[in-house]
Amino acid sequence: MQGLELPNHHVQHWRDALPVLLNQLQPGAISLDCGAWLLTCGELNELRKTMAGMGCNLLEVSATNPETLVCASALGLSARLSSDLIGSQKPRDAPTTDSELLFHQGTLRSGDHLQSDGDILLFGDVNPGALISADGDVMVWGRLRGTAHAGQHGEKQARIIALQLRPVQLRIADVVARGPEDQPQTGLVEQARLQDGEIVIEPAPAQGFIGR
Amino acid sequence: MSTTRTILICSGKGGVGKTTSTANLGIALAKQGKTTVVLDADFGLRNLDLLLGLENRIVYTAQEVLAESCRLEQALVKHKQEPNLCLLPAGNPRMLEWLTPKDMQSIVSLLEKRFDYVLIDCPAGIEDGFKNAVSATREALVITTPEVAAVRDADRVIGLLNIQGVAPVQLVLNRVRPRMMTNQEMLSVDDITDILALPLLGLVFEDEQVIVSTNRGEPLTLGDSSAPAAQAYHNIARRLQGEEIPLMDPSQARRGLRARMRKLMQTKIF
Ligand SMILES: Nc1ncnc2c1ncn2[C@@H]1O[C@H](COP(=O)(O)OP(=O)(O)OP(=O)(O)O)[C@@H](O)[C@H]1O
Ligand SMILES: [Mg+2]
Repeated sequence: MQGLELPNHHVQHWRDALPVLLNQLQPGAISLDCGAWLLTCGELNELRKTMAGMGCNLLEVSATNPETLVCASALGLSARLSSDLIGSQKPRDAPTTDSELLFHQGTLRSGDHLQSDGDILLFGDVNPGALISADGDVMVWGRLRGTAHAGQHGEKQARIIALQLRPVQLRIADVVARGPEDQPQTGLVEQARLQDGEIVIEPAPAQGFIGR
Repeated sequence: MSTTRTILICSGKGGVGKTTSTANLGIALAKQGKTTVVLDADFGLRNLDLLLGLENRIVYTAQEVLAESCRLEQALVKHKQEPNLCLLPAGNPRMLEWLTPKDMQSIVSLLEKRFDYVLIDCPAGIEDGFKNAVSATREALVITTPEVAAVRDADRVIGLLNIQGVAPVQLVLNRVRPRMMTNQEMLSVDDITDILALPLLGLVFEDEQVIVSTNRGEPLTLGDSSAPAAQAYHNIARRLQGEEIPLMDPSQARRGLRARMRKLMQTKIF
């Protein structure tokens, strides 16, 4: 299957790049990588029709934007969450989106930095030496063993939540704390938040973030 | 399509045993009947030729092959005792600018026509030398020692290999000291595989014989050494070929040693 990758949204709008991209396609099955773009049902459908006119068959859509994925599924396309958000084509540091929630799948390894202007949800581990940061909350569906910074622009209500919270260092707004040294209790989701100017770690409430 | 396995031997941190591993695995694979070439991609500081005792046989290098001023056959240095093994030396350390990812790819694809295994000894770090080497490989072995800094750098390298689509990436743990591990003075095997999340292809114990053999220019796997490190490299070579051989257990090794000591003492006393 041929891959078609939309440009990074920092570089060029995908609509501007489209004529050149389409020109390079050979007739056949196409897998479209939308990166962080939000493509609506209408836009995806329009793209599919244009491609069909060229003998191309849009079969698969990958994206890091959950809404794009929902639209793709709604059109009956196979939708996949990109696991290579920090891919070779994109800048390695600090991929950001304008959306409220940045969603990333995959482990952050030493030297990686994932950050978001909104909240961040990671499906994977944060290894020692990696950094995850957000203007809002940092949520890690995995083990947090690197450094996490929630509320990086001063939001004191921001929280850090992880299935296993054993970071090298935690930061919330401008407060810094070293990670706890004791072994984590397994099966207990923990969160870190600011209380009277200090970072405290406690079991995460059952409702998680709903209703904030 | 070629069935050659091209494997990058890399680490991130320097001095953890990439060159030692390349030399020993090269010999071990050759002994097991696989035609193998070891390619020195550490163009700045080459010493794979030294380790293999082939320094004085080098006439041409990869650089001349690429410039078409000699044939590949002329540049390949065949090992004295192990004819299945060849070395392709790096270019002149003073003329590094010529090398690009494309050069590396051309060299490797020439080698893939002739050998079962192409092992690339990668320079430390994640700079150009590493990037060139990665661009020409499919698989990788990441070497690390049980030290926090080495594991951290290995993790970084694994991330970069994943981005480049290198697969499979497997792990070799070098310079393991069973006593320090059981006393928890060193990261344990579990700690390391837990962080790096890679299949462990083998562990090699810290062994003076490795240094002795290196200095002699005769890798440990060349003779019929019974040193655990030699055994470990032979086993890694077999596992590379898909054989299932159980891993050594550092705590068991320790117990084995203690048991042997006790036996010795008994023979002395009684
Ligand atoms: N299992 C071992 N036991 C004892 N010494 C070892 C072992 N493995 C490697 N060494 C020693 O460690 C030193 C470094 O090894 P080597 O040159 O293979 O590392 P390297 O990763 O290639 O280094 P560089 O990054 O400089 O290329 C050598 O002196 C070698 O003899
Ligand atoms: Mg070396």
